[in-house]
Order: sequence, then C-alpha cells, then structure tokens
Amino acid sequence: MAAPLVLVVLAAVTVRAALYRSSLAVFIAERVEVASPLNAWKRVVEGLALLDLGVSPYSGAIFHETPLIIYLFHFLIEYAELVFMITDVLTAVALYLAIQDFNKVVFKKQKLLIELDKYAPDVAELIQTPMEMHYIPLKVALFYLLNPYTVMSCVAKSTCAINNSVIAFFILATIKGSAFLSAVFLALATYQSLYPLTLFAPALLYLLQRQFIPIKLKSKGFWLYTMQYASLYLCSLVVIICLSFFLLNSWDFIPSVYGFILSVPDLTPNIGLFWYFFAEMFEHFSLFFVCVFQINVFFYTIPLAIKLKEHPMFFMFVQLAIISIFKSYPTVGDIALYMAFLPVWSHLYRFLRNIFILSCVLIFCSFLFPVLWHLWIYAGSANSNFYYAITLTFNIGQILLISDYFYAFLRREYYLTHGLHLTRQDGTEAMLVLK
Amino acid sequence: MAAAVPGGARGRAAAALLLLLLLGCCGAAAAGGLQDQAEQFFRSGHTNNWAVLVCTSRFWFNYRHVANTLSVYRSVKRLGIPDSHIVLMLADDMACNPRNPKPATVFSHKNMELNVYGDDVEVDYRSYEVTVENFLRVLTGRIPPSTPRSKRLLSDDRSNILIYMTGHGGNGFLKFQDSEEITNVELADAFEQMWQKRRYNELLFIIDTCQGASMYERFYSPNIMALASSQVGEDSLSHQPDLGIGVHLMDRYTFYVLEFLEEIHPASQTNMNDLFQVCPKSLCVSTPGHRTDLFQRDPQNVLITDFFGSVRKVEITTEALSLDRDVAGFESKFPEEELATEPLKYAEQLPVAQIIHQKPKQKDWHPPGGFILGLWALIIMVFFKTYGIKHMKHVF
Repeated sequence: MAAPLVLVVLAAVTVRAALYRSSLAVFIAERVEVASPLNAWKRVVEGLALLDLGVSPYSGAIFHETPLIIYLFHFLIEYAELVFMITDVLTAVALYLAIQDFNKVVFKKQKLLIELDKYAPDVAELIQTPMEMHYIPLKVALFYLLNPYTVMSCVAKSTCAINNSVIAFFILATIKGSAFLSAVFLALATYQSLYPLTLFAPALLYLLQRQFIPIKLKSKGFWLYTMQYASLYLCSLVVIICLSFFLLNSWDFIPSVYGFILSVPDLTPNIGLFWYFFAEMFEHFSLFFVCVFQINVFFYTIPLAIKLKEHPMFFMFVQLAIISIFKSYPTVGDIALYMAFLPVWSHLYRFLRNIFILSCVLIFCSFLFPVLWHLWIYAGSANSNFYYAITLTFNIGQILLISDYFYAFLRREYYLTHGLHLTRQDGTEAMLVLK
Repeated sequence: MAAAVPGGARGRAAAALLLLLLLGCCGAAAAGGLQDQAEQFFRSGHTNNWAVLVCTSRFWFNYRHVANTLSVYRSVKRLGIPDSHIVLMLADDMACNPRNPKPATVFSHKNMELNVYGDDVEVDYRSYEVTVENFLRVLTGRIPPSTPRSKRLLSDDRSNILIYMTGHGGNGFLKFQDSEEITNVELADAFEQMWQKRRYNELLFIIDTCQGASMYERFYSPNIMALASSQVGEDSLSHQPDLGIGVHLMDRYTFYVLEFLEEIHPASQTNMNDLFQVCPKSLCVSTPGHRTDLFQRDPQNVLITDFFGSVRKVEITTEALSLDRDVAGFESKFPEEELATEPLKYAEQLPVAQIIHQKPKQKDWHPPGGFILGLWALIIMVFFKTYGIKHMKHVF
C-alpha cells in the first residue's frame, strides 16, 4: 500500500507546486473563504515583520497566531511553500496510518460481535469485509490531498493546514492507544485554535474502549482513567501556554488569540455563521449572542457522547464536522479535514437519503461563493445578504450531510442488531425513522 | 412815544436773537442731521451684495422648497441684486416637471396668485449639480478653473452675502438630494474658510428646514447673523396645499418672510429686528430662532436692504475734494540690496546614494534562549516517553 500512497502524494505535491507558480496563487490567497483573520498568511508575515521592527505582533489587531507559530515561521519563512506542502503530506500520511489501524480495530470488533451472536441472522450484506476495507486508508489520504479545498488552503498558505496536521496526529495517537501522545497533540491543537477541546470526549471514549474499561459513571476505573487523561491534557496545555509566555515575555497572546476566537470582534465575511449576525446586531445584545453562539459549538458534545459512546470514531468525525461548521472563523481547510473521513463511512452509502441533493448544494455553493463575492464587492449590484445566503445554504448543506451520516450510521447499527427486514407487530413492513 | 421806540428796538433785537438762536439750533440740528447722515453713510462696511440661494430637495412633492428659494430669489432681484451676483441652486425642476399642471410656472401662494418663475430666472446650479461638494466649493471659492463665471461666488471682503437654504433637515444636518448630507460643522468650517480668505464682510444665513436652528449652532466666525425657521426638536411646517397643483406650495416661515419682503423697497429703513419678528409661533407653529452673538453691529442698525438688496451708496456733492499724496511716504522702503548671486540648490534631503546601496536589514529579533531550550527539552521528553529510554542506546 505504500506505493499508491507515494503516487498520490507525488500527484498532490505536483498540483500544489504548479498552483504556487501560477497566477492563481495570489487570487486564492486573498479569498475570504480560504483565509480568515485567524489563519491568513498575510497576517503571519505582518506579525513577523512587526517583530523585526521591535514591536510586539499582538499589539494591534492583525496577528492572532500563537507564539509557537511565530517560532516555527521565524526560521522557516523563506521555505513557507515547502513547509505547507510537507504539512499536508504529513497530515495525509497520519490519516492513512490512523485509518489503517482503525480498520483493524473495526474488523476485530466486528468479528467479536459475530462470534458472540450479537448480530441478527440476515445482515450478511451489511457486514464490512476486509476486501472492501482494504482501500479505505488510501482513499482517505486521496480525499484529503486532492480535495480542492485542501489544495486551495495550501496554496493560500493558511495556517489551518498546521492545525489540521496536529489534529491528524492527535487522531493517529488516539487510535494507536497512546494516551500521553494523544493528550499532548490535543493540547497543541487546543492551544492553537481552542475548539478541539471538544475532541477530548471522543478521544477519551476511544481510549477507554481500547483499555476495556466500561463506561459506567459509578465505576472507579472509569474515573481514574478519565482523571489521568484529563490531567495529562491539562498539564500539557498549561506547560505549552507557560512556555509561550517566554517567547515574548508577555501574556499578550492570550487575549489576542483566545480572546479573539471567543469574542469575535472581526466581522470579515467568511463561510461561517457569525459575521453577518454580529454585523447587524445592536451592541448591547452582542455579548449575549456571542455566548449563545459559542455555547452552540460545545453543546453537542455531551448528547453525542451519550448516544455514540460505543462508536467513538464516528463521534470524533461528527465532532470535527461540528467544529468546522460552528466555529467562529471557519475556512475551507477545516471542512477538508472532516471530509477526508467520508470514505471510512462509505459502507453507509445505501442508507444515506439526501446525498445527491447535498453534494449538489455543496458544489454549487462552493462555486457561488466567489460569484456573489464579486457581485457584492466589485460589481456593487448585490449586498451582504446575497453572500450570507450562500453561506447559510452551504452550512445547511454541511449540517444536513452530517445529520444524514448520523442517521445512516444509527440505522445500520439498528439493522445489525434487529435484522434487515423490520416488521411491525402485525407483520407489515416497518420503516425506521430518526426521532 | 419816545419810550416805545427803544422798547421796539429791544424787541427787535430780542426777536433777532431768538431767530439767531433758532437758526443756530436749526443749524446745529441740521448739522447734527448731516452728521447722522454722514455716519449712516459709513454705517455698513459693504460695497457689494451677493446671494447664494440653495434648494436641496428633489422630487415633485418637495415643490415647496423650490418655491421657497424662488420667492427669496424674486425678492432679492427686485431689491436690486443682479443675476451676476446671485448663485441660485435648485435641485429639481418644478416648472417643467411632467407632473406640473401649469407648466413653466412655480406658484408661491394658493389660488396661484404669485408666479415666482418668470421669464428671467437664471438657475446657476441645476438638478444633480446641487451637491454638498459644489455648494462648499461655491462658498469657499475652491472651484476648478473651467467653472463659468455665473457659477462662482466672486465676493470680496466688502461683500455682504445672503445665504438661504431650504430643504429637509434634522438635528445638525441638511439633506441634499436624498443621498447626502451637510453637517453644521462642515458649514461652520466653510464659513470660517470664507472669513479667513476675506470672502465676506457680513453674512446673513437663513435656513428653512426642520430643526433648522441646529445648523447655526456651530458657527464661530465673526460677522455672521443667522435665522432659522424652527428650533432643535421642532419641525418646520408647510403652508397650504393647492388643490389644483396637488402639493404644498410653500413653507410657512418663508411664506411670511416673503410677505414681509414684499413690503420692502430699496429705500426702506426697516431693520433686522423686524425680520426677527416675522412669523411668530401663532402663525408658524414652530418657533423661529436667530443668532446674533457673532455679529458686531446691533441688529437694530442693520437694514434689511443691507443683505436683501443691493443699495448703492451714492452721495452727490458739489464740493471739490483734493486728494493729497504724501510724497514722502512713497519713498522706496526697500534700499537696493545685492541679491544673492549663487543659485539656490535643492537641499539634499533624500540621500539617494545611501538608499540605493542599502544592504537588506538583518533580522533583529531572535527567540530567547530560554524558550528554545524549554521547547526542545519538552520535545525530547515526549519523544523518550513515547519510545522509551532503551532507544537511547541507539543514539549513543
């Protein structure tokens, strides 16, 4: 499997290199869908230039990256393109290895459940076979590397690629079972963009499952492990934050990075839901609504954890999607990360109900974004409502995609345990609905 | 009889004395009257009059603003200011508006009694040319060289200028053409520019809009008198609609000002205090306001025709005056000095040579050593925790 992966990597690198050299690079780098105030490359360069002039980069409202990024790019700024290409490749390789291991786990679990007779007799066609699972890791790497969103994000040199890479390593570490590394990478991911905090729950559930610790609230083993993992995570987070203090000898980065993410002062249009709402809101309501919107991101963790406690990887996927939809400054790079996981659930295809409409919506909206931006900003014949309409439609498409996959997943689980041909009490055919 | 003659002589002498006294008094009075007249001659320091009349609203239902402006135009022209000294800015054409049932007319009184749009109305800024920018350029004189003379305010420091503005306004602003506004601060600054450029001697500012008094609140240049049709927080109301034309023909304040002005003729001695009394609250519903604290003369002494008319001061005299020239004072105050012979060089402010040969700046900032040490220590610790110490033997 190494050779096809190398081929895919080569193809991806070629595409990116070609785009870097073309005139599209500048155009893509300026697009608001790809570069947000949090991760635009222009701002990184600006911050480093300010640092060279002796001014703290956090003194204005330009630079919202973490000190570790400053350190990274201080030495690598001339090789920025190479850095981003390598980052993408590393992400793809990490995802590849992670999904490879995950497939083994899935297969093992499946075998166990079959031997324990937990499955209904007529569900042979629903069971995943190693043959069809063989190509999934390659498909995941392919989906990530050759996704136009990822390519655009890389060409724009948006630091979202670095965040994706850290999350990919976190997923790899979680699947391999190393709680320490998983906590470290999760701390790094949270340190950079705060929202991966919600990925703590799926990772914890996965590690508990791997250690065969049952998830019962009264069990001492559960709480012990949870405390261990949580303390690893929090300690590494605290250590990283304290280390960042020593880069510039100031705590300026905390309001600039986390204050900025949480209070959303910059209302530049992007593909998210925050900007329009807060642009038209009265000031005395904005605090309330900022809190509501931010709680919305973190809110789904507990219910999903309760429902999907047996399936932590799916939970991780749904949580990643929720982060990229509801975060304060999303970009297409965030979307590319969770879309890379879609091949893992390709066995759910027969249960997806709206996949055609949703893929059409997503593709059309992606094309309409630059059109309506041009109409609004350059031609002047549209206004922000038009662009926000496309943003809304795009996000609705994503939300429906995730809920479709959620429904399909739960339906398959139900069929596995209750058989494919469901009948009601009087013998007629029954239909499964998600209530 | 001999006693009557000396008495008669004394009587005649007394009568003569009285007559002399009377004559003296009369002479004194006459001299005093001449004195007054002479004083009055030099009372106002202006030699010419200008008028800038601005209507800022467009659309048919703002007919009354155009009628307002044209009424003031009519009065001002009638009292002597020529078209060459009037800058008339009308934001819309009511006379030839397709909705005008009486084309080529603009009436200012119901029953169509007074047509203020005659044959000789010269509109200088029409339709979309009436913008805040053009208005301010007219006032301050900062006009492109291609502007025709009729569109310029060529006033000097002996000009009295009447500025009349009407339209829709609010607290601190006046709306132009439904798309932009001029604020009271801008207007005050424009007047200050005019003062500093010596473009007026005295200025009378009249505004007929809602909350008009807010527009003159910010004036700070000397010799400005301002009148407004309503105070801040009040609306200026329109007079009566004409059912034949279908719109309100005039605003109340200007209607009563026009009535007042119809009685003025070029020789009137009516003063500004009478203008302040025009349109009390019972007639106008809003409370007109005025501001005279920046004006140096007493409004009592300011004639209406000082601003609304163009009264030439002519004094006919039969005396001959000789104008002496102080020859001594005209001696050249500048002794012939030797001019500097060496040509003045442009100072070398820009060291071009240095810039061309500048080396690229070194990066001055480096991450502190403690940070790098801490970071790599952490990375090594994570590495060894993951892979175990026993791998160290492969390193060494």
